[in-house]
Amino acid sequence: MKLRTVKSLSGQAFRSLKKTPSVTSIIVVMACMLVLSSFMLVAVNLTRIGNEFQAGVQIRAFLSPDMPPDAVDRTHAAIQAIPGVASVKYVGKDEALQRLGKQLGENNFFLGDLPRNPLPESFDISLLRAADADRIAAAVLELDEVSDVRYAPKLVDRLVGVLRIFWVVTGIIAVFVLVGASLIVSNTIKLTVFARRKEIEIMKLVGATDAFILFPFVLEGIIIGLLGAGAAAVIVGAGYQGLAKWISSVAPFMPIVTDSGHLGLAIVIMLCFGAAVGLVGSNISTKRYLKV
Amino acid sequence: MGWLTLVNMYGVTKVYPGNVEALRGVNLNIDKGDFVFIVGPSGSGKSTLLSLIYRGTVPTRGHVLVAGRNVARLRWRDVPMLRRRIGVIFQDYKLLPDRSVYDNVAFALEVIEASPKEIEKKVPQALSMVGLAHKASAMPEELAGGEQQRVAIARAIVNDPLILVADEPTGNLDPDTTLDIMDLLCDINVRGTTVVMATHNHVVVDRMRKRVVQLERGMIVRDERWGAYCHEA
Repeated sequence: MKLRTVKSLSGQAFRSLKKTPSVTSIIVVMACMLVLSSFMLVAVNLTRIGNEFQAGVQIRAFLSPDMPPDAVDRTHAAIQAIPGVASVKYVGKDEALQRLGKQLGENNFFLGDLPRNPLPESFDISLLRAADADRIAAAVLELDEVSDVRYAPKLVDRLVGVLRIFWVVTGIIAVFVLVGASLIVSNTIKLTVFARRKEIEIMKLVGATDAFILFPFVLEGIIIGLLGAGAAAVIVGAGYQGLAKWISSVAPFMPIVTDSGHLGLAIVIMLCFGAAVGLVGSNISTKRYLKV
Repeated sequence: MGWLTLVNMYGVTKVYPGNVEALRGVNLNIDKGDFVFIVGPSGSGKSTLLSLIYRGTVPTRGHVLVAGRNVARLRWRDVPMLRRRIGVIFQDYKLLPDRSVYDNVAFALEVIEASPKEIEKKVPQALSMVGLAHKASAMPEELAGGEQQRVAIARAIVNDPLILVADEPTGNLDPDTTLDIMDLLCDINVRGTTVVMATHNHVVVDRMRKRVVQLERGMIVRDERWGAYCHEA
């Protein structure tokens, strides 16, 4: 399509925006985008919290008491080689006793009376992803030198499950927003298409291509989608920054996402979604009239 | 442009949804430079036959070749290219009421992305051809029926089509204006454009003595080189 034609057709799209009740569509798209972006930001924050929690998830592997001294290094290397293991820390018998003493606090007086240190040597294993805990624990337990493993599998499973459900819900909302908002935009464009159906019929008869006919309607749809998403982005951008500041001041231990990168990405996704809503909506409304 | 025959129809049958048979086994050839009247009662298949030419519809069975191309097998994106070589006019003119006479004619060139220079050159020529150069800035509602049909004809011929398809173009006009429009279509035909026109008008067909193709219940029952509206024994 020639630049001159693009200019002329764009002018048509903007003129049409003034004539049709596009403000209603823009508001509806904005509301849909607000819901979607709110869910997206909550999901991003939950994921951050989850990631921090997952980073803290450890497996403790206890070593057999009758293990030869050179087996420690070999076992350390074997555990480190298991995929998904972030780091491995050796805890000797003395260190284990010191830890126990700290945990017992004032009640640790009896430790000094023990004839020998009963605690086994162990490894503290940090994981890249908490979801891999079961698999890694099983792999560690298979090593001859390891007598037992301890971790909190249920808590990890629950956390991973909650995060997964939240992202699935966000995905479902995204689909509903795309479909719902597209239908709203489509209805607005339908009014324009209906008003210009005679013109479209003549265009088809004199040899206009579908791209030529579609262009102004698609552009109008995209503009409606972008304006709705843009308005939502402004509200979310300002609102989220204020909320994040407030949460950081009243609950500084909460790992709230405050970097502009995440917020910027959310806004870009919203704008892309807005444009997609306009594109899909305008295509739905014009398809019927192109079959001349 | 090496073909002598512009339109070939072989065994064309058109059945609309609801099992309505509009055309049955139609065979028809229209040569370059022909002037053909398609006559017959309402519902005999005249409009369907015309719309097959500009690919307003496709045959259920059989083949329609226009300028050597099988219209049913055209890719969707090639249909506009075919239509740029065919001018179409209708009984209800199909003008855009919010555009001037000049803009209505220019519209046909704008949608095919003709240059402004070409538009400035061709639109006045087409309007002169139909005798409306002096009404270029008028709006359609300010024109009489015959003048509106002339604007539609100007729009149809502005792109120098090979064929002009006219579906009852004089149906809404009085007898004098009808004859004016027919004279205009004759002029266009004399300049080399093939004209295919569906009509109910006895007077026009009998006066002009052109080729007449008569349809009845979807079948061609008569094809005469210099015919009248009714069969002359």
